[in-house]
Amino acid sequence: MGGMTRRWLIDNQGLFFMAPAMILFVVFVLYPIFYIFNASLYDWDGINEAIYVGIQNYIEMFTNDRAFAVSIRNSVYWTLLTIFPQMILGFILAYILTSGVPLQNVFRIIFFMPAIISPVVLGIVWQRIYAPFGGLLADFGLAIGARFLIQPYIADPKIAIFSTIFVNVWQWTGFSMLMYVAGLQGLSQEVLSAAEVDGAGARQRIQHIIVPMLRHVHLTLILLGVIGTLQTFALVFMLTKGGPNHATEMLPTYIFLKAFRLQSMGYASAVAVVLLLIALSASIFQVRFLGSRFTIGG
Amino acid sequence: MRATTTGRASSKRALGKSAAFVFVFVLALIWLVPIIMMLVVSFMPPDQRAPRFGGLLISGVSLDNYVTVFEDAEIVMHFFNSAAITIPSVILVVIISSLAAYALARLQFFARDIWFYLLIMTLMLPIPTLVVPIFQINKSLGLNDNYAGLILPYTALGVPFAIVILRSFFANFPIEIEEAARLDGCTRFGIYWRIMLPVSWPAVAVVIIWQFMTSWNEFILALVTMNSVDVKPLTLVPLVYSGQFMMRPGPMFAILTLITLPVIVVYYLMQRFMVSGLTAGAVRG
Repeated sequence: MGGMTRRWLIDNQGLFFMAPAMILFVVFVLYPIFYIFNASLYDWDGINEAIYVGIQNYIEMFTNDRAFAVSIRNSVYWTLLTIFPQMILGFILAYILTSGVPLQNVFRIIFFMPAIISPVVLGIVWQRIYAPFGGLLADFGLAIGARFLIQPYIADPKIAIFSTIFVNVWQWTGFSMLMYVAGLQGLSQEVLSAAEVDGAGARQRIQHIIVPMLRHVHLTLILLGVIGTLQTFALVFMLTKGGPNHATEMLPTYIFLKAFRLQSMGYASAVAVVLLLIALSASIFQVRFLGSRFTIGG
Repeated sequence: MRATTTGRASSKRALGKSAAFVFVFVLALIWLVPIIMMLVVSFMPPDQRAPRFGGLLISGVSLDNYVTVFEDAEIVMHFFNSAAITIPSVILVVIISSLAAYALARLQFFARDIWFYLLIMTLMLPIPTLVVPIFQINKSLGLNDNYAGLILPYTALGVPFAIVILRSFFANFPIEIEEAARLDGCTRFGIYWRIMLPVSWPAVAVVIIWQFMTSWNEFILALVTMNSVDVKPLTLVPLVYSGQFMMRPGPMFAILTLITLPVIVVYYLMQRFMVSGLTAGAVRG
């Protein structure tokens, strides 16, 4: 302990500012990552002695686990059928709601509102909308004579995942809209009016100028959409519990089911490792090779 | 000739604008239906057995469901639990992330960039991957059924996003003012505390709103951490009473409305920051 150490500490005083964030990161993020890699190699109920099984959990998962395969398939559906509809509808709304229509701030608040409400609440509300007897859609279908609206939306394994995805689109379109509103407000007015003077119609301006210039917003929405998809839990849990017969299972609901209902902590950790690797590789790919950012400002 | 073309173009534009207005107006009405339904069912008279249209049509307006909820459901206790978890996590996130963001924006130190990338990596992690280890960590620290068992992980998971917002805000602040303060003998901590933090309140406001909403609405960690009814936050309340109110949608929807009210109020008060702020930063769904 001498002048050297003292000097080093003064030069590195940023470490003191960082210390609380670092400690929390190590305890609640870094250690858990090592933990699931380790636990995934055991057969363990969370209480009794864990039995080392090597990569047996992974072999089981990839060769003999229909629910896991369904979760992967559902994640692909969810990614494609939430991100792009939310972006397209969000862009249309943002375009209209920055063009000076009356009440545009009120409309923005209305479309964004579902995004701030807990998915727990929305899950229960949408159960009543989807209910085949006395539900909103079914009664509406009866009243106007559109009998196709009377469906077992969340009870039929063939359509349950799409009904669940629909709720997600309803909830998050307003968020995409808000990101595009900010993006549109940030566009250079000079470029836009120059295009107008050159005789570019609204459609040409959207297609050739506005959409390409909002590339950073598209990329951010895709990045956040993939991560959001991979951590979907509360909505599915409240609406369908992952059922019927795993038809709406997502990786997070499957981890919860295995770990806390079937007491297979080791197997659940193996599923968590797979989820972690998918999430990290998808995100790092986008950030590294597409230049996606978590923020659209700055 | 020229005049008629512009005339036709502007009337076409006006027509397009009215069509656009009608489109967003109709869509907004449809968008509101689930939220209106939540409110309407919560005011349903208790003697109405089977509400039609999922409850959009009720036979009268009554406050009985709210009375039932306050009498039978200890909703105030759960509200207090939510506040006791959310408020400390918001305060901790603001302090810890602003300290770290200041260092990352302005100071040189050992392995700075590595720390930054590690923290950013947290934004890429789905929270459910961490639920088993966090449950076990809390178990070994005796923090299950304890507010701290949620406050600490919420803070840890909220800090990286807050750092992203605050760091870019700090980095854009003119460095000359800082240098002047240094010459006057101000310490690094003094600069952070007396200059940077006060001028960054718009960014801090964004962090506060965002952390409030995530902590208030968080579900999966709360579900595995809080087993005793006495400490459960509001998000778990629908599960607690789903058996008791299974055949009575009125009280259940009164609970849902009461859970939603605080976030709507906070959002309404803060929404002018939210539009600029949310878009300046990212989101963890």
